[in-house]
Amino acid sequence: MSSDSDLLKRYNYDSFIPENFEQWLNFAGSPPLGQPAPDFPLWQLEGQQQTSLNAIWVAHTYTVVEFGSFT
Amino acid sequence: MNAVARQFSEHGVGSIFLYTHEAHPGEYYPHLTSMEQKFRHAAALRDVLGVTRPILVDALDGACHRAYGSMPNMTWIFNRSGIPIYKSDWSDAASVENALNYFVDVSQRRRDRERLAPFHVERLDYRNVDREAFYAGLERSGPKAVREFREAFG
Repeated sequence: MSSDSDLLKRYNYDSFIPENFEQWLNFAGSPPLGQPAPDFPLWQLEGQQQTSLNAIWVAHTYTVVEFGSFT
Repeated sequence: MNAVARQFSEHGVGSIFLYTHEAHPGEYYPHLTSMEQKFRHAAALRDVLGVTRPILVDALDGACHRAYGSMPNMTWIFNRSGIPIYKSDWSDAASVENALNYFVDVSQRRRDRERLAPFHVERLDYRNVDREAFYAGLERSGPKAVREFREAFG
């Protein structure tokens, strides 16, 4: 879960100002439809066990993943 | 989105919420500095905002979120092979419901032994804009979140 401290600060910006959030918005460069997508570790809120995106999508014919946060 | 998840659960469709970072950090829900804090904020999403789908938490550096384009509230649909078949830069229940109806029908057509080949389509969907509800959400984060959004977008 550890990573470069500068990356952590920039990604978890403390103010919603364009120079903080615009650098991350890259939907046009996101993985294409129809090709295998990258897998990543994730953590379950309930119990905080580590799992992965792959473990989520293999469990159902289709899986809807909504990205977001409280704010 | 909770209702859509319930509607399609009996058709082999799973639904999760993937917790990313605070798009509008405020006094009550500030920017994230630890996984412990991230789990607390994710719990608030469940308890305060009523998300009933399983909530998964991304790494603190947002590795998954960043790889998928970092939009603040996007939705993707994957098939069992990990191939994305729908992606939307904003989450809209009607759009997701429309897509799932199509894909569930595709599954039935395959069971009926139709010969199908995928193709790409681009389309603009339209969502309702509820400015009052949006600002109410910002207020839950704190006055700073409201002030910064007004300064950024008026």
